[in-house]
Amino acid sequence: MAEDGTPDLPAPPDAANRPRIGVDEWVAQVEGRRARYRGLRGALLERFERLPLAARFALFLVPAAVFPLLTNQGNVFRYGLFTLVYALLALGLNVVVGFAGLLDLGYIAFFGVGAYMYGILASPQFNNHWQAEFAIPVVVLVTALIGLLVGLPSRRLVGDYLAIMTLFFGQAFVVFVNNANRINFPFFGHVDLTGGANGLPNIDPLNFFGYKLQTTNEQYYLLLILIAFVLVFLYLINQSRTGRAWRALREDPLAAELMSIPVNRLKLLAFVFGAAVAGLTGAIYGTIATAALPGDYDIGLLITIYAVMILGGFGSIMGIVLGAVIVSSVPELLRSPGNARPIFYGAILLTLIVKVRPWRRLAAILAGLVGFGFAVHAIAHAAYPRLVAGSAQGSDRFAHALNHWMLYPNNPGKIADVAYVVLVAGIVILPQLRPLLRTVLLVPLFYLVMFVWENLLLEQISGATRLILLGALLVALMNARPQGLFGKAYVEIV
Amino acid sequence: MDWSLFFDLTVSGLTLGSLYALIALGYSMVYGILKLLNFAHGDVYMIGAFIGWFALHGLGGPLKPDVGAWFAVLGMFLFAMLGCGVLGVAIERFAYRPLRNAPRIAPLISALGVSIFLQNSALLIFGAAFRDYNTFSLIGGKTYNYGNLYLSVPQLMTILGALGLMLALTLFVSRSRVGKAMRSVAIDREAASMMGIDVDRVISVTFFIGSALAGAAGVMFGLVFGQIYQFMGFIAGLKGFTAAVIGGIGSIPGAMIGGLVVGLAESYATGYLPQGSTFQNLYVFALLILVILLRPSGLFGRAVIQKA
Amino acid sequence: MRKLIVAVVLAAVSVVLATAAWGSTKAPQRLAAAGTSLVKCGSTRTIGFMVPATGPAASIGVQQVHWANFFVKTYNKSHKKKIRLKLEDTMLGAPTGTAEALKGAQALASDPSVLAVAGPAGSNEIIAVTKSLKSAGLAWISGSSTKTTLTTDGTRTGYMFRTVPPDAVQGTTASNYILHVLRYKRVYIIDDQEAYSTGLADTVQAKLKAAGVKVTRDGVSQQQSDFSSLIAKIPRNTQLVYIPWQLVPKGQAFGQQMKASGRGGIKLMGSDGLYDSAFASVGKNVYDTNFPLNPSSGIIASFRKSHSTGEYFGAPTYAAVQVAATAITKACAKGSTTRAKVRAAIQRTRIPASASLLGVALRFNHNGDLATLHKFGLYKSNGSQFLPIG
Repeated sequence: MAEDGTPDLPAPPDAANRPRIGVDEWVAQVEGRRARYRGLRGALLERFERLPLAARFALFLVPAAVFPLLTNQGNVFRYGLFTLVYALLALGLNVVVGFAGLLDLGYIAFFGVGAYMYGILASPQFNNHWQAEFAIPVVVLVTALIGLLVGLPSRRLVGDYLAIMTLFFGQAFVVFVNNANRINFPFFGHVDLTGGANGLPNIDPLNFFGYKLQTTNEQYYLLLILIAFVLVFLYLINQSRTGRAWRALREDPLAAELMSIPVNRLKLLAFVFGAAVAGLTGAIYGTIATAALPGDYDIGLLITIYAVMILGGFGSIMGIVLGAVIVSSVPELLRSPGNARPIFYGAILLTLIVKVRPWRRLAAILAGLVGFGFAVHAIAHAAYPRLVAGSAQGSDRFAHALNHWMLYPNNPGKIADVAYVVLVAGIVILPQLRPLLRTVLLVPLFYLVMFVWENLLLEQISGATRLILLGALLVALMNARPQGLFGKAYVEIV
Repeated sequence: MDWSLFFDLTVSGLTLGSLYALIALGYSMVYGILKLLNFAHGDVYMIGAFIGWFALHGLGGPLKPDVGAWFAVLGMFLFAMLGCGVLGVAIERFAYRPLRNAPRIAPLISALGVSIFLQNSALLIFGAAFRDYNTFSLIGGKTYNYGNLYLSVPQLMTILGALGLMLALTLFVSRSRVGKAMRSVAIDREAASMMGIDVDRVISVTFFIGSALAGAAGVMFGLVFGQIYQFMGFIAGLKGFTAAVIGGIGSIPGAMIGGLVVGLAESYATGYLPQGSTFQNLYVFALLILVILLRPSGLFGRAVIQKA
Repeated sequence: MRKLIVAVVLAAVSVVLATAAWGSTKAPQRLAAAGTSLVKCGSTRTIGFMVPATGPAASIGVQQVHWANFFVKTYNKSHKKKIRLKLEDTMLGAPTGTAEALKGAQALASDPSVLAVAGPAGSNEIIAVTKSLKSAGLAWISGSSTKTTLTTDGTRTGYMFRTVPPDAVQGTTASNYILHVLRYKRVYIIDDQEAYSTGLADTVQAKLKAAGVKVTRDGVSQQQSDFSSLIAKIPRNTQLVYIPWQLVPKGQAFGQQMKASGRGGIKLMGSDGLYDSAFASVGKNVYDTNFPLNPSSGIIASFRKSHSTGEYFGAPTYAAVQVAATAITKACAKGSTTRAKVRAAIQRTRIPASASLLGVALRFNHNGDLATLHKFGLYKSNGSQFLPIG
């Protein structure tokens, strides 16, 4: 038995007769060392994996193709286009990080290079107005070349050094495009390559053989077709010799090298491939935004794309598409406080239901929570009326109910800040306590969570709160499932 | 040669370099022991600057502190170092320890998560506005002037304070029992634990010391440059890590020298190179690449023989 | 065999996509018609409001929110037909760039009840949202974007309006003062590397250079607040440093660090972004320019009654919402209207100087700039706040 209690795979019947020397045998085993799925999600995922390939693709592509017919253009833009852009970016990044195991923190810079490069070829900046069928290949080639140049030092760099170097590269890119209008290039003299802080405005729409893709729907379907191609391509490459070699590289570069796998060339290949996909996406995004602006290719988007990839699970292609849907639409839904409250309380309830067993304990905690709230409210009402002088945001029935249960100080300011710090400290300390004490303290802690949510987080929902939740999610996810939501766990081999 | 410019640049480079060195020490010590790139370190530094501000205002504010001005400064350092130390230990306990045997990318992502979390928590509870240390009112705006050399009190304090902290750290690591344990854990964690060293405790102590140094650097930043804000940790952390890499990651004297090298390089680049202030970060980046390509193990690091 | 399956799948998917795409190409016509489709005005009219309510520029955005809400409150008190603001947070300056503004613009564009938009705040945001708003037929009135070419390049004519004078006006005011009143010969200009600041710095640099002033230009990232090595580069015999920056604390820190390096005697000049008593507190060597305000306006007096601090950055946003509300009222005279009619009504706005807190009448020229504003106010610090000097 392996450490986490999953049974080892049964040996194949002809194990003894199989040849022990083979090029890819070790690599082939990598997949076999994955843990089996468990629980409800496991059952669903296994069912999903047994589906034929065609059905699996259709499961994603058909709803995506129908989506624009069901809703208005604004929603297609906000939910659809951004989901597809995120998904495409994450798929490219997944080759670098998920397949080859290289931590590339300058990835978004390639996205930016694509947008700027397309802007240079097709905008009033230099009065170039290239057709897309010429411009796009040039853009992809240039970004791939830059990817090659950035990747070259990676031959000498192990893990974290590469991370910091690419992170610096990403920052350097932002500084460069923000100020390139001040540079006097050798040989060329002064050329305003990027428009500096003003960016490149008025980028042409994609123009394939004279047909202009201008509306949201046209852009949406272009991206969808592109994703379909990338998905199939990734599937094929994942099954190929190169794909297996990448996985070997990710698992153990040293062992891979000893197997005479050309490690350096494969690293570069992954890097270049990722850069090319990002560049292509960037060119299309440039035409969607109709401008390449320096602030758009900064660390914020990088974090978003990493969140997509991690949620989906490293190396899992379908997981990433799902991750993109979640990461692009949840923050968009959270935009309005009317949606935010049901999502938040729903998530809390769901977590409790999934995590707390048996159900009697769950019921006790829920009942305790309700009772605790009323008790606190009553005490506060009697002793410190200032603490209940305010009222909940919104005017629906739920908000009215909350008014009798939750504390709403008139001017939460400092109280809420202190409560937030106490809450964070509480979450850190709680796991260190004894089990009984932990269960007892769980109730006030949850009440505190809701107090902070109602009085502090809800107000900042479109800004800091979304990112705080994202940060907390990353830490929690790494703690609970380092392989991501839809990735498979490894059976540890010691 | 314009000596006045040169002296000005040197003083500002040394000041910045001292800050970077203090930050780099935290990166380097943690990396030496855990082989973990602690992305959240820059944000611990930011929190330190804020704790210092709150301590100052808890002690009566910069205009008329309840205690003497110098005691107020001492109090700021004390609170910031203590607070950051505890924060560092908590981060390690909560975000890194459960992942010690996970694939190497997991703790990195977790560190990224902590960084986002800290930055936006600061935005949430401290607000987007900048906070003013108002050093002028606290300790006066006196500037020492020797010929062409101008030195302000906070600058002098930063350079000397950082020097003192680094000396103390060097003594601690080379002389004390815990320091000895830290060195042995850095060399081989498993062997150290077999020798009866409580590895978890040593790691906690390392995080405490590294984060406390970052907290001190945060307060120094506030005293020298006046304004603190919630995004100040990102770039500073990047530069601190650069310093650690240039000095040779894992090496304590390397981090100190690396910090000064980065600080001075940045300052001279701003002063002497074309468009220096605009492209400051690009020049530092170029320096980093150069060092990595020529001496991948840094100025003071030893080349590592890779083990499986 | 496997490759065959994949090829078949690919073909099938392409067919599905092509059919769907074909079906949806009829949708664009619906979109193009949005600007001219009839909307019932009802008793509550909606104005979209794009503002950086959170994010790094929140300190500016919150002021705009205060002023806009202040207008809505007073307007609704005295009118039967109410107006309502639909707020979209653009998170200006956040590391996510203009994506939030873009999504916000799309949300407003696809909401048929929105008749006009106040905002967005930043020049780059306007570049990003132009297509989204324009193709939906919406007009927008910005209370803070000053890049000159936004209105003059012709791509937004009839759609974009603004209630602040552009960089060209502010830059001219500043450079005229330096040239003709101060008569300085050695000037150092530092921008903070974003659109607002570089635009102003360019204007002033060109004017001073043309007059033979020795100008040195430098830039410093908005993310930076250690200016010591930059300051070391500024020659001690410089007469004035021009810093058209966006963030007041940065200007304040710069002034303090100038003092700390023994350069406290050099004059500083900021722009409307730095017009704040915190920047004035640096010392008596500080000048600033700001958009005109009518200090004796009753509107400002009553705003100050309900808001303790003297935050004026949002005042032009008040004017922007005022213009939108007035135009909508006019366009809605018959009970229903179109976005195109609202656009035309904004173009024809006539609000007399007595009803405007800017001290001048509000009417627009063909480009969408205020036809009545030709100059900025000049201020000098007395050590704690700015006093007008002409």
